[in-house]
Amino acid sequence: MRILIDNFTKTFGTTTVIRDMTLDIESGEMLALLGPSGCGKSTTLFAVCGIHRMNGGRLLFGDRDVTTVSSQDRNVGVVFQNYALYPHMNVFENISFPLKIRKESKADIDAKVREMAKLVHIEDLMERKPAQLSGGQQQRVALARALIRKPDVLLLDEPLANLDAKLRLEMRSEIRRIQQETGITAILVTHDQVEAMSMCDRIAIMNKGQIVQLSSPSEMYNEPASAFVAGFMGNPPISFLDGTVEGSSLRLDQSSIVLPLPESSRPASPASRVKLGVRPEYFQPENPDKVEGKISFIEIQGRETLYDVTLENGAVLRSIQSSGPLHKLGDTVRWGVDHSRVLAFDESGARL
Amino acid sequence: MRRSHLLGLGFMTPAILLTLALFIIPVVLTGVFSFTNMSTSTGITGGAYEINPRSIRLMKDAGLREGLIGDLEENLYKIDAAGLAQVEKDFGKKLAEEMKGAYDGQTFKDRRELVRAIKDLKSRPRSSRDLNKAADLFQKSILNVRYDDESAFLNGLGNLGITLQDGEQAELTRFAYTGWVWTTENFSNMAAMPSTYRAAFNTVLYIAFTLTFNIVFGVFLAVATFYLPSAAASTFRTIWFLPRILPHVLYVILWKWFTWDTGFLSQVLEPFGVAPRNWMMDTEINAWVSIVLINGFVGASLGMILFSSAIKAIPSSMLYASEVDGASRLQQVRYIILPQLRWPIMFTSIYQTLSLLTSFDYIYLATDGGPGSSTTVWALYAFKTALNNYGGNLQYGFGAALALVLVGIGILASVLYLRLFDFKSMNAAPRIEQ
Repeated sequence: MRILIDNFTKTFGTTTVIRDMTLDIESGEMLALLGPSGCGKSTTLFAVCGIHRMNGGRLLFGDRDVTTVSSQDRNVGVVFQNYALYPHMNVFENISFPLKIRKESKADIDAKVREMAKLVHIEDLMERKPAQLSGGQQQRVALARALIRKPDVLLLDEPLANLDAKLRLEMRSEIRRIQQETGITAILVTHDQVEAMSMCDRIAIMNKGQIVQLSSPSEMYNEPASAFVAGFMGNPPISFLDGTVEGSSLRLDQSSIVLPLPESSRPASPASRVKLGVRPEYFQPENPDKVEGKISFIEIQGRETLYDVTLENGAVLRSIQSSGPLHKLGDTVRWGVDHSRVLAFDESGARL
Repeated sequence: MRRSHLLGLGFMTPAILLTLALFIIPVVLTGVFSFTNMSTSTGITGGAYEINPRSIRLMKDAGLREGLIGDLEENLYKIDAAGLAQVEKDFGKKLAEEMKGAYDGQTFKDRRELVRAIKDLKSRPRSSRDLNKAADLFQKSILNVRYDDESAFLNGLGNLGITLQDGEQAELTRFAYTGWVWTTENFSNMAAMPSTYRAAFNTVLYIAFTLTFNIVFGVFLAVATFYLPSAAASTFRTIWFLPRILPHVLYVILWKWFTWDTGFLSQVLEPFGVAPRNWMMDTEINAWVSIVLINGFVGASLGMILFSSAIKAIPSSMLYASEVDGASRLQQVRYIILPQLRWPIMFTSIYQTLSLLTSFDYIYLATDGGPGSSTTVWALYAFKTALNNYGGNLQYGFGAALALVLVGIGILASVLYLRLFDFKSMNAAPRIEQ
């Protein structure tokens, strides 16, 4: 079902957390609300499920305006960060709770719960209490409970935050599988860009109560609209170099280093200030535009090695290389920047 | 023993001493007293020997020889030196010497016999009034005469010429003894007295009603205040907490003002044609409702605080989840909140059962166990028997026996509760991780 958040405004007391936000989520789409903590992503989620009242704007589920509908009548499924399973009920009772509340017949409930348990692979756990389940199993139960009454939209609030790294990988694909099998519209709230990129069709990246960019994961990575988005997407993160334009090149502050600017993003006025974003994978030994620096940090990640290279003006460039650790801390290196893949931003952080 | 152990022991010492002084020693003393017949009349030190109407009655009940009891009850007339000296003073030396010569040492069964004997003497008084008066000077009785020890008592009996048959001496001495003795009579009496069963029944009734009211009302207040805005909720809770922090006497006086025949309730109801009455003491049912409410409002405030904090401890996401799952407020209370109050409710029930078992202060202040003894619970019954008897004879021993039963039930119930609710697991180390 298509979800439309139209000119949504949320205030707490005198503080406006979200102002005039508009977001259109297509039917069957899984969309990530991504952003640092405090950006308003969870507030948006709570407004969609009706726990928080909207202070302005409209919320549409399909053609139905649910702005003033209570959360009880809204037909949303929510998976909370801590799963919020009812500790005094066993798995079966937890999953069947939304149906029991609606006073559905016992046989109906039984059939639906079995079906749902099969979907999320927890058929054998029905008699257990939540305390007897692992984090991943609790997650599955929470998903089943959220999906059991076929909600219009599935809301996931940092669903993977409480899992260990291995389970997180597993559940990432599981949640995506279940979402695709049920064809449900889903909103995922997360601060982890890897999660957002790997699970969702589109990402809405938020900052200070605003959506700063809404696009597909690869577009967001390759064509970030601002320095904030570029900095948020990618791990290890992008490094930024500040400088002043000299013709078609950029002279880095307090240094003799001059780097060519990408053709597509020449600034309008000469001598203007520009911030250059260089992702670690585009700062490599074989690239043409060499920059000299000293290795100031090495992080061995197994398959790859991450180097921090400190330039003469103190700026740091990161390089990620798939060869083994060939260099030592303190080595002076001359590696090149791939200027066609460099991202240029103006002083306000907007993409040039 | 390591130094840290000593330190622990040091920290424990005040608690151990307090427990000893305020619990162990009183309980032991209660146990000791409960096997005595101590009362106001026996005193708590040793006693004297005395034949008095009460001991006569007891002897009759015990079936002592009729003749002996008769002798003890009768006044005797014995001619002795003291009597003769008094006669010499009142009636002259002549009569005294004549009586000494004729009857010295003799005992007369009653006054008529002695008067007849005096009449035989030459220097007898002329009027029968004087004769009676003279005879009275020799009147002797063991009744109400206190002897400090057993030999003096037996001596006194001998002086009066009361003869004892074999085996009677020990029994008589026992009945004459006015001090306290060791006995198990308290317990057999307790089992035989209907007032005991009434008190036991009242106690069960009192605990059942008050506890139910406490829990139900406490849960209601906690749930109601949970859904109020926080400022209103804390105001509300403070108001409901007032009875607990009010001095007991003041609190009960407020209730009395409220229920007196010229009090608030009567005044308010008067325009509606309800005759003014003492709403607290009018009937037994009124008295019961009053003491349950008086205790209940105080008890409910404790429940309210405990249950409120327990509700607050429920993660808010769980309540959100239930709302999103479609649960209305009532369903939320029934399916999410109440099940999670199970432990606090159990704890409060245990705690309040035990404290209600021994508490009688509000009842004492409000109805004093009345009307009649309809609201006299066991603890009040024990208190009144031992320490605050209307008749004035405080039965320390019997009261202690009553109290001992209460102590026994309390300890038994505590052990049972601890077993039942698995106190160890309640005290288990908290699991911080999920």
